[in-house]
Amino acid sequence: MSGVTRARTVLPARFDGRWRAEMDDYVIALAWSPDGALLAAASVSGTIRVFDAQAGSVSATLPGHAMGTNALDWHPDSTRLASIGQDGKAIVWDAKMGERLHVLQVGASWGERALWSAKGDLLATAAGKIVRLWNGQGEQVREFTDHASTVTDMAWKPGTDQLAVGAYGGAVIWKADSEQAVRRLTWQGSTLRLCWSRDGSVLTAGQQDSSIIFWDARKPEPSMMWGYATKVRELAWDRFSKYLATGGSETIVIWKFGGKGPEGTKPIQLVGHEDLLTALAFQHKGSVLASSAQDGTVLAWLPGKRDDPLGGLRGLGSVSHVVWSPDDRFLAIGDDQGAVVVAHFAQT
Amino acid sequence: MLQTTDTRVPVTVLTGFLGSGKTTLLNRILTEQHGKRIAVIENEFGEVGIDHELVIGADEEVFEMNNGCICCTVRGDLIRILGNLMKRRDKFDYIMIETTGLADPGPVAQTFYMDAEIERFLRLDGIVTVVDAKHIWEHIDDSDEAKEQVAFADVILLNKTDLVAPEDLERLEARLHHMNAAAKIYHTQNAVVDMDRVLNVGGFNLDRAMEVDPKFMEPEYPFEWSGVYNLQPGAYTWVMGEGPDPAMQVALLPLVGTEDAARAALIERAVLTFSDEKRELTGGGALTPGETLTQLNLNVSGETHFTVGIAHAGLYTLFTEHHPDEFGAALFHDETRLEAAHTREYKPDHEHDEEVTSVGITVPGDLDGDKLNRWLSQLLRTQGQDIFRMKGVLSIRGEAERFVFQGVHMLFDGRPDRPWGSELRHNALIFIGRNLDRAALNESFRACLA
Repeated sequence: MSGVTRARTVLPARFDGRWRAEMDDYVIALAWSPDGALLAAASVSGTIRVFDAQAGSVSATLPGHAMGTNALDWHPDSTRLASIGQDGKAIVWDAKMGERLHVLQVGASWGERALWSAKGDLLATAAGKIVRLWNGQGEQVREFTDHASTVTDMAWKPGTDQLAVGAYGGAVIWKADSEQAVRRLTWQGSTLRLCWSRDGSVLTAGQQDSSIIFWDARKPEPSMMWGYATKVRELAWDRFSKYLATGGSETIVIWKFGGKGPEGTKPIQLVGHEDLLTALAFQHKGSVLASSAQDGTVLAWLPGKRDDPLGGLRGLGSVSHVVWSPDDRFLAIGDDQGAVVVAHFAQT
Repeated sequence: MLQTTDTRVPVTVLTGFLGSGKTTLLNRILTEQHGKRIAVIENEFGEVGIDHELVIGADEEVFEMNNGCICCTVRGDLIRILGNLMKRRDKFDYIMIETTGLADPGPVAQTFYMDAEIERFLRLDGIVTVVDAKHIWEHIDDSDEAKEQVAFADVILLNKTDLVAPEDLERLEARLHHMNAAAKIYHTQNAVVDMDRVLNVGGFNLDRAMEVDPKFMEPEYPFEWSGVYNLQPGAYTWVMGEGPDPAMQVALLPLVGTEDAARAALIERAVLTFSDEKRELTGGGALTPGETLTQLNLNVSGETHFTVGIAHAGLYTLFTEHHPDEFGAALFHDETRLEAAHTREYKPDHEHDEEVTSVGITVPGDLDGDKLNRWLSQLLRTQGQDIFRMKGVLSIRGEAERFVFQGVHMLFDGRPDRPWGSELRHNALIFIGRNLDRAALNESFRACLA
């Protein structure tokens, strides 16, 4: 059983640490249940823990995946939790009972992503070049294999049954009810992360070659933004689909969409972290951006309004995840030493 | 970055064709290093499985980048797998990457320089290429992958040496050395080799950039053949027929000792002898053992005989400017034709004008820093694609320290090293690549001298 302690806050911050727990290894996935009652965390070596989000107590420990767990995703019912890992399986758990509901063969040994559709009627899994869609009974309903390399990320287009799949060579958009791709967004380069704008009009891709690209439904050609220090895996859109926050260096670079931008415009640059960024997250309904870095800091920002941080947390290991609670009042943080911290964010 | 405080996990890349003995070597490493935590990344369609708990399967996924720059080409599968391994609390002591025989080592090596996350935690220690001494001939002429694997290697294991004749082995070694003069070549059977010859070799370590002996960087010999004869005191005859030239230069040197070092020393002496003034000899003349260069002038037609008087029993090595077969030449005692106990060719067969070669440059003196920069950037821009590896030490005017560098394709890694002190300031560098123009490289480099 993990010990539960108070998180340490050093900055005069608007973050108030509520609880802290320890996983057995690097926190590779961290996810709030949609009702905000539970927080699930997975360690790189495999273990999954489900925490009571208020108290920090462990409500279930799931064995996860041999060789390591890679990703988690909650069903909209806040009961079913999907996990995927390096044993070639995705597992749908009853997170409250700690039981396996379905064990799915994902098609290759390295399972990278498992994602529920918005309605929760479909679970998408990615392993190697294979993407499979499963129904609520754990039956495979479709398989997409026409990808140029191992799939690196997937993202459901908000409010639709369209799934964007990223790999080397760009992204492919599939539709649940068709074997034909809706669109192939080709780009020579390796896509690492995909992120839809909240309104679904822009698909953004963080690239291995220190750039980002985006396909804007209103424009005929994709655009590329380059000049990042390293590969870009940190992408976050704000609730108005106006700001795209990107990592890829120590500085947060925010592109403003709308009007003639972002092409040819100068982005907002937020300086505060002293090492490479590791995660970015905008609030669901608010405008606060949370950021984290390898230097063990977490900062909160109000892009477009202030260039200095609103507050922050220090003293963690290299932070791997920052995730807002569904009501935006809490921030969950995971680090490379296995710490899981939940902090209250007080808006003043 | 200070190399002395480098705590990054070393990675060795094992390359070689199917059946070369790569997996045997890997199993040997895992057995002999059993106290260490070693992760193995192996192609999912690998030849023979290995018995090890930490094996991760990989598809060889080469990612080119949008800018089309070859140096940005990396291995996506390795970035994903290595990135995951580095997150784990139970760190590894060592990582072995086994590639298929069809893998290009370039993107593998570049992965360690083109990804900040990988570079932070891991260091590429070396590329070890296992060569099947018997079957390599089936690939070496027409397989780009085989050539690249030889060219990129820090260490070449000439394996299965028990299956080939010694002269074939020497011919092969000479050829591989011609392609990659910087690699250490070891002869093995069943991939038996000392671990410290394949692990922690520091092939990409700047501190060891100049362990390459410049003497061995220039595999250009003034002779094409040598033969070792075991001779008793007496009179012998060197008989030559008509050949492509009206004369041939030779030197007959006594060989003391049979170990590799003695042979290497003898070759050095032969090279020096061939740079001496030559003594001309016509038919019937006496060829005497010793460090004298002799030009044998042939009769206009028919055979030409030269006498060879031997006073002391022992091993003698005859170095010839051309291959004796071109003149139907041989050594006779009485009426008996003598075969050399041991022969070696110093130039690969003429029809193999190697596409992949090493070019070594050794020049004393100081370089002009600006000229050097311009030369290097121009060179990497125009020929970076064809330069697989490079390394060396440079003497730059006004700088007290030696400048050491190494590189892969267009990726250049260099820094000042220790002071020259009393050592003669000089430049020694080597390029290994495809279609390299030795003369042009030498000339353009010399133009950078201050």
